[in-house]
Amino acid sequence: MNLNIFIQHFINALSLGSLYGLVAVGYTMVYGILRLINFAHGDIFMLGAYFVYFATIVYKLNWFVGVIIAIILTTICGLLVDRIAYKPLREAPRISALISAIGVSFFIENFAVVVFTGMPRPVVQPPILMKPIEFENGVRLIPLGILVPVVAFVLVGALLWLLYRTKPGLAMRAISFDIETTRMMGVSVNKIIALAFGLGSALAAVAGIMWALRYPRVEPFMGMTPGIKAFIAAVFGGIGSVPGAMIGGLILGFVEIMSVAFFPTLSGYKDAFAFLLLILILLFRPTGLLGEKLEDKI
Amino acid sequence: MRNVRNLLLTIIAVILFAFFLDKAPLLLNGYWQRILNLIAINAILALSLNLIYGITGMFSLGHAGFMAIGAYVSALLVLSPAQKNSMWILEDIYPFLLNVNAPFIVSIILGGLVAAFFGLLVALPVLRLGGDYLGIATLGFAEIIRILITNAARLTNGPLGLKGIPAYTTLFMSWGCLGVVLLCTVCMLRSNFGGVLRAVRDDEVAAKMMGINTFKIKVIAFTLGCFGGGLGGALMGNLITTIDPRMFMITQTYNILMIIVVGGLGSVTGSIIGSVLVTTMLEWLRFVENPITIWSINIPGIPGMRMVIFSLLLIIVIIFRREGIMGMREFSWNIFFPKPKKKAGKSERERSEKVLELENITLKFGGLSAIESLSFEIKRGEIVGLIGPNGAGKTSAFNVISGFYKPTSGTIKFLGKPIGGLSPDEVCKAGMSRTFQNIRLFGHQTVLQNVMIGSRVRQNYSWWMTLAPFIFTDVLREDGEVKAQALELLGQLGLEEFADEQASSLPYGAQRRLEIARALATKPEFLLLDEPAAGMNPQESEELMNFIRRLRDEFDLTILLIEHDMKVVMNVCDYIHVLDQGVHIAQGTPGEIKANPRVIEAYLGKGAA
Amino acid sequence: MSETMLKISKLNVNYGAIHAVRDVSLEINKGEIVTLIGANGAGKSSVIRSIMGLTKSHAEEMTYKGVSILGKPAEAHVKLGISLSPEGRRILPQLTVEENLALGAYIRDDEKGIAEDLEYVYTLFPRLKERHKQKGSTLSGGEQQMLAVGRALMSRPELLMLDEPSLGLAPILVDEVFAIIREINAQGRTILLVEQNAFAALKAAHRAYVLEVGAVSLSGTGAELLNNPKVQAAYLGG
Repeated sequence: MNLNIFIQHFINALSLGSLYGLVAVGYTMVYGILRLINFAHGDIFMLGAYFVYFATIVYKLNWFVGVIIAIILTTICGLLVDRIAYKPLREAPRISALISAIGVSFFIENFAVVVFTGMPRPVVQPPILMKPIEFENGVRLIPLGILVPVVAFVLVGALLWLLYRTKPGLAMRAISFDIETTRMMGVSVNKIIALAFGLGSALAAVAGIMWALRYPRVEPFMGMTPGIKAFIAAVFGGIGSVPGAMIGGLILGFVEIMSVAFFPTLSGYKDAFAFLLLILILLFRPTGLLGEKLEDKI
Repeated sequence: MRNVRNLLLTIIAVILFAFFLDKAPLLLNGYWQRILNLIAINAILALSLNLIYGITGMFSLGHAGFMAIGAYVSALLVLSPAQKNSMWILEDIYPFLLNVNAPFIVSIILGGLVAAFFGLLVALPVLRLGGDYLGIATLGFAEIIRILITNAARLTNGPLGLKGIPAYTTLFMSWGCLGVVLLCTVCMLRSNFGGVLRAVRDDEVAAKMMGINTFKIKVIAFTLGCFGGGLGGALMGNLITTIDPRMFMITQTYNILMIIVVGGLGSVTGSIIGSVLVTTMLEWLRFVENPITIWSINIPGIPGMRMVIFSLLLIIVIIFRREGIMGMREFSWNIFFPKPKKKAGKSERERSEKVLELENITLKFGGLSAIESLSFEIKRGEIVGLIGPNGAGKTSAFNVISGFYKPTSGTIKFLGKPIGGLSPDEVCKAGMSRTFQNIRLFGHQTVLQNVMIGSRVRQNYSWWMTLAPFIFTDVLREDGEVKAQALELLGQLGLEEFADEQASSLPYGAQRRLEIARALATKPEFLLLDEPAAGMNPQESEELMNFIRRLRDEFDLTILLIEHDMKVVMNVCDYIHVLDQGVHIAQGTPGEIKANPRVIEAYLGKGAA
Repeated sequence: MSETMLKISKLNVNYGAIHAVRDVSLEINKGEIVTLIGANGAGKSSVIRSIMGLTKSHAEEMTYKGVSILGKPAEAHVKLGISLSPEGRRILPQLTVEENLALGAYIRDDEKGIAEDLEYVYTLFPRLKERHKQKGSTLSGGEQQMLAVGRALMSRPELLMLDEPSLGLAPILVDEVFAIIREINAQGRTILLVEQNAFAALKAAHRAYVLEVGAVSLSGTGAELLNNPKVQAAYLGG
């Protein structure tokens, strides 16, 4: 394997991993606060991709405007999901919310089939993102491959800034440890939970848009597999931890791309690696890489 | 009488249904026969997932994987060599597989067994995880299975799947299988072992204290459930006649999960009703995807609409009726008849003077000591109090004695034998039982079942016998004995009137007594009571004092109790130990303790004495 | 008689079948330290949690400065000027000392005032200043208690409620905590103190209520109750 190909793989892994990471962040925020696996999150990601598809390709809007509109619409959808399907179940046993999440996931996927039809639609990639840049030593890079991780890192950095440097961020971190005490401090818990859903959905929208550019097409079930893998990434990194989700996503991206790069015969099994990795970490370190241990009480 | 009547009614119902199945091919077209078949298969799948999740409380999302195993095993066994030869086009089939063949019945049972074997393999490591993590791990496992099937083309023909599987799944076959599965499930759940399964779900900690090895119970239930998954998958393959890896995606598991949620988690009847409803609904909803003509107006079908409506219904059910149709209730013929009115031993053991000896017990969490070198002894027949202000380490001491915590150092002897390393279920078997500060009953079960679960540790029959109690009549006999003893115990504790009520519906004082009754059902020599008077009004505590004394005398017990109600402690205890911030600061008779300045200071603050 | 700050009549709390608080009535006047004492399980925490709106309860009347606070959520109480330092401290272990304190000031936007109060808390508890960048979980029990009290002060409450502030502290620290409680009170804040350590609480309080199995069995001034033998009986049994 020469340097050029290795760098290609590396960039590939980096961008795939950072997309997983972006989606994983949404899972981890919601799980950290509500202990709910938001199965619909992968479908929110799909909606982001569709919205940008319609905005830019069907309605021929400028890419920048299209992306902004797509992010806003996706965020609204994420908030609606929380409001309609999860909020009524806050006091219910956790399984109820989980079943509701599965229902929402089904609903969004099939609603997308109804509205957008089940046919995959090709996405036209903006030429500027696809024109390879050649370096002197023969390495060729596609701008999109660099843009994806850069955007992802900037957004996660911004999220971390929000979490660690602003008041709502403080409240969000506090809620994930102790909802009641946070309420005692005068924090409106439901608003903060909505904020978590909103932010998670916005990041998922961005990931969905970049995913649609990378594999230039959209289809109603495109969120399923990346959704599950991003959840794995979140568990891997330590559920509840935002940096953990990003690290988990990157590790997953690298494992997937590199295993296929070095062992092409195993390419059919690449999805199995993710799950194997998941089961192993659950068995040996159930709290994930950066997760906190929760104690049982008798 | 009632039982004979109910049995007769059941037999009549089964015969009528068999008659209907016999005539079904004449009455129903192929489409409806297929739906009927699907209902039976879905019911088998739902029952098996309900056993894992609804009954035993393990959140598993791996059912599709086990179905896939069953479907492939069965298909590989029933396909003829000629079919196999022509189907494997990507890669050659393994030679040994080419000629392997088995009758249909054998193939589906093997399908179930292989699935169960994989289930067991998964269960041993993964069931140590709890809650959502278990769900995710099982989901991961199912996906791995699917990926392996997609890739192991020499074994499974890869992504192309298997076609032309003989349609052996007839109505009699599918409903017959359901009948057998249903019979076994109902028998098992009605036996005391079934109570144990639900006890693990309701409160694993309390179940351990009943002497139950909860891990083993979970492995058994999971493996049995996987058998059902494999069996259902095998039947499904032979009904649809084509299988491929994409059939067994997570969506398949969700479908079954929906059935049991709609029907009611933990209810066998619910699973059956859920299968009927969900299966027919899914089929019936196909109309929205087909073009229809109303008054010569053509409405084109809308692809995907079926699942949109279906998922909306699911969300509505879960938000507005989250316990499903049946909740945890079951069908019984009795609902058609008025309710009849009904009415309502000590063992030999060797004598040992010292029941409990603690020597230098220290317990640390992180760097903090919860208990610091605690030593004391308890003699047979004593009622001993363990008191101290909040955070003194009393409950920690209980948890060490009953095996929930391992002491950091020191030795514990029970009846002269060291029990330091034993788990709670082993400690229970050695003759110790306890209650909990926050009552930990198996809330969804009846009072009688709660007590019977306490006796499971003394029963001899094995769990698998409960699948066919009419063959292994030991089950019925032992359960009968245990039931009689449990009723007697309830009588002694004044709880017989509640025997058939749900434990969680009892008044508070009665729940406390029930928890004690359940502890007594394990036939302990030594009973630990954690704050028995908590939440009682003065009059109830008064009654409690007499009750505790009576317990000691009638059941020949030695009792250690934690209590904050000093009136109770001072009146009922022979001897008292006082802890403060993990340190044993005083011991003595009630009179001595009341006058002890260190105790007064610990309770009322420095300078109070 | 000075102005009534908090008035409760016939408060009842049920947990399932347990009747944890029965017909408790009490009043707190502006500027007072009132303590609620009683043995473990007497219902003290349930009373204070009901006042804060954290536990479902029924009462004939529950008013704060004449305004009914019955059935309002906890976050509304903070905005009215009530704050609670809960039992078990409940500091957020993964947040730093500074962040815990900032959370206490969540409802406020006056940065200048917040900075003043932060300085005030740091003068009350110099230890917290030394450790302001440390995570809550690394503090000792006493420091965590200081943090919990400091955090409750950060919303600039008029009524400060303290649930078991001396729990689990070494005797020397208990004295220190009570000295600070008196100091906070001297600066004009009304305090409701729930304590198991009756002796220290009675010495610090103007008035006290003794709870026994969910009901008020005695009340009076701190000094009166300090010498009342029935108090000891309430703890150690009659």
